[in-house]
Amino acid sequence: METLTAGKAHTANAPGTPRKKKRSFWSDLIRQRYLYLMSIPFVIWLFIFNYLPIWGWTMAFQNYKPAKSFGDQEWVGFDQFNRLFHDDQFYLVLRNTLAMSGMGLIAGFIFPILFAVLLNEVKSMPFKRITQTISYLPHFVSWVVVAGIVTSMLSLDGIVNQLLMWLHLADEPIQFMAKGHWFWGIVTSSDIWKETGWNAIIYLAAITGIDKELYEAAKVDGAGRFRQMWNITLPGIRSTIMVLFIMSIGHLLSIGYEKQMLLGNNLVTDYSQVLDLYALNYGIKIAHFSYGTAISMFNSVISVLLLFTANGLFKKFAKESIM
Amino acid sequence: MKWNSTRTLSLLSLAGVMLLSACGDNNNNSASGNEASSSPSGSAEAGAMDTSPITFSFFGADTSPNWNNMQDDVGKAITAATGVTINAEYDVASGGGQSKIALMAASGQYPDMIFAKGELGKLVDAGAIIDLTDLIDKYAPHIKEIMKDSMNRMKYSVDDQSIYAIPSNVGVGNEYFDATGGFEVQLRVLEELGYPEIRTVQDFENVLKEYAAKHPETDGQPTIPLLLNADGWKSMITVTNPAFIATGAPDDGEYYVDPTTYEAKLHYKRPEEKEYFKWLNHMYNEGLLDKDTFVQKDDQYQAKIASGRVLGLISQEWEYGNAENALKSADKDEYTYGHFPVTLNDQFQDHELQSVGVDGYGISITTACKDPVRAIQFLDWLASEEGQVLMNWGIEGKHYNVVDGKRVIPEDVLDAKVNDAANFAKTTGIGLYPTFTAHYGDGVKDSTGNYYTTNFPDQIVASYSDAEKKALAGYNATTWKDLFPSEKDLPIKDWGALYNMQVPTDGDYQVIYQKTQEIITKRIPQAILAKPEDFDKIYDDFLAELDKAGAEKMEAEYTALVKNRVELFTGKDVQ
Repeated sequence: METLTAGKAHTANAPGTPRKKKRSFWSDLIRQRYLYLMSIPFVIWLFIFNYLPIWGWTMAFQNYKPAKSFGDQEWVGFDQFNRLFHDDQFYLVLRNTLAMSGMGLIAGFIFPILFAVLLNEVKSMPFKRITQTISYLPHFVSWVVVAGIVTSMLSLDGIVNQLLMWLHLADEPIQFMAKGHWFWGIVTSSDIWKETGWNAIIYLAAITGIDKELYEAAKVDGAGRFRQMWNITLPGIRSTIMVLFIMSIGHLLSIGYEKQMLLGNNLVTDYSQVLDLYALNYGIKIAHFSYGTAISMFNSVISVLLLFTANGLFKKFAKESIM
Repeated sequence: MKWNSTRTLSLLSLAGVMLLSACGDNNNNSASGNEASSSPSGSAEAGAMDTSPITFSFFGADTSPNWNNMQDDVGKAITAATGVTINAEYDVASGGGQSKIALMAASGQYPDMIFAKGELGKLVDAGAIIDLTDLIDKYAPHIKEIMKDSMNRMKYSVDDQSIYAIPSNVGVGNEYFDATGGFEVQLRVLEELGYPEIRTVQDFENVLKEYAAKHPETDGQPTIPLLLNADGWKSMITVTNPAFIATGAPDDGEYYVDPTTYEAKLHYKRPEEKEYFKWLNHMYNEGLLDKDTFVQKDDQYQAKIASGRVLGLISQEWEYGNAENALKSADKDEYTYGHFPVTLNDQFQDHELQSVGVDGYGISITTACKDPVRAIQFLDWLASEEGQVLMNWGIEGKHYNVVDGKRVIPEDVLDAKVNDAANFAKTTGIGLYPTFTAHYGDGVKDSTGNYYTTNFPDQIVASYSDAEKKALAGYNATTWKDLFPSEKDLPIKDWGALYNMQVPTDGDYQVIYQKTQEIITKRIPQAILAKPEDFDKIYDDFLAELDKAGAEKMEAEYTALVKNRVELFTGKDVQ
């Protein structure tokens, strides 16, 4: 939110000749010197922890050997990237990563927003509180446990199959976990179960910020509950949704690998392998650090590109942006 | 007020936590204080060796769930005698240490000592491991004595003859007194069917089928005729390794080595193994192989075994041992398993007991170790007769008694050891330390004429449950080994056990290996779960896919390594 307002403030200052702007920057600097001084430690902190490590990217252009010093490393140019882009498996894991994060992104927005908006309409305070608490508890359950629950629920004698048999929807138990093309759905559903409540918190908070008078005015105008949701609540949290959406697009490629590793098995690897797991197996595990670096560098570059594209598009069409 | 009460509560709990941790600290302090005060007397006995307190950090690439920070009986005795405390960290989950050790190599931060298993090569390439040749020569008379006939086998390679690891997960001079692999059948099945002969996969199948038909349920749950574990690397143990075990080939990891030409190839390429996987496919389509086999996780697999409803396994005892221990603790001895040397047909012979000579993963000292001399002296003390007896038998008067010059384990100790194995290991420390150093294997006697280890015929029979003894009597045998082809009939392998051989971390080898592994773990389950008429096609496609991923190049590289190894071990010129 702060970045958002700062951005707006900046654009508001924009009109004026460049010369004047330049002068005003220096006078601003002098006037606000204490503020700038106070921010210096954080800039340094950011630089040390977020920018210095980028130096490690040099590994991607070397054939890195742990024991040697930097000067003794063998430089190989774009060989690692060449290998990466010529590996069929890379495209497979890229597809899986994008598919699962895309599904997660969409479901991860629709469900929490729906949940927050609906929960907001509940009148009974204790019920609302209890529901909210219960709904975000799964967030604190580790993926290891969730994966265990999911695999046993979906196993042949698991509760899902028992239910399907009892309802005569299936003639014989279905081996859910062995079907590759269902894997993305299983991951997304377990993600929804685990994170919906947690992700709804921020929307609930944003909803409380909406002016109550707007609702009263709408009521006077004769708007029903659904009208109010559509015309007041949703537009009221619009900017929150946009900011979170743009930021999630930046994380499209880095969806982690715990879910996929824990829920996957040998039968579904064609659908379960993701970029991070690929980097782990072909980079770190077999000590090909340079190759792993190349993968993560590709990951970062694409993420930044995605972020800027999304931001640009939203700026143009929805007049909202985070930068 | 509400806020205040929350704050008070959190303060209280914080105080509680601090108190608890303080108690913990106190315990540690007093314990180490005791050790420190007792060490001077120890040093007086040990003579020249420095026994001032010292701590070595250690990483083990296997899991060791019973590790108790040396607060067990044996650990305390070791610290008292040597002054050494091991600050150990073990790999978690299914072990192997791959990721952990790769990160160590990348960051350059090593523990003082490491049991790196198959990842030793990464550390050697990173220059993290010190050459032990001189240290052993100067400070380790006991290790030298144990390894005297196998010094060549400790060397790293033909080109680099340094000693980087002291083999510690194999016993030198080991003689098998019991068989713990092969195919497993529950004892209750054997008893009910009148101890049938189980020699081929057909016999095995018939036995499981017949019993499952008679008893479709066990304790109210469906009986599972055959269960395998395909989670992670364990799929090698129960799914793919049995393919060569059942077709008369020795264990060389993922390879089969031609004993005359030393040519190595992925063992899946042997036509006999295709037949074995075809049989598994048949078992699946008959409904005998559990349908969850390839989707379940290790804990689900263990839980099924512990429930007692699994009739047959194809595994190694250590692989399902925890589940079997649970059965023993619950007094369900008839649900535990007997071992049979099952092969595809009677033309083949089970080679599991074939001797590989001294060849195992070992313990290494890293460049991070400040006092390598103390470290090697410590390892050497463990390798002494006193150390080995302590590690294997425990403390005299507590875990064993000497009766007429023979070491005997009292009844109650043995009972705890067999039926409450995890707790026993945790409190006594017996069995936790041998992987730290070179040691003698089963069947080797010390200066008093007693066996070094607790695995010798009388003791093995004594640790069998009554149900197991009864089943063995049904087969006119005293141990399961009696049913297996003896190692005396099988030649010693010139190339040791290839799963111990370190491969280069540089170049394409590792990438191709990783690729072929992924193909194997994906295609083998698919082939087994296929319709019988599709099996041949899937299997042939699988072999073609391996070659497409570069298997032939990898095999050629491996063959060269095998030949080097034979040359190093035996001095033969095989290039």
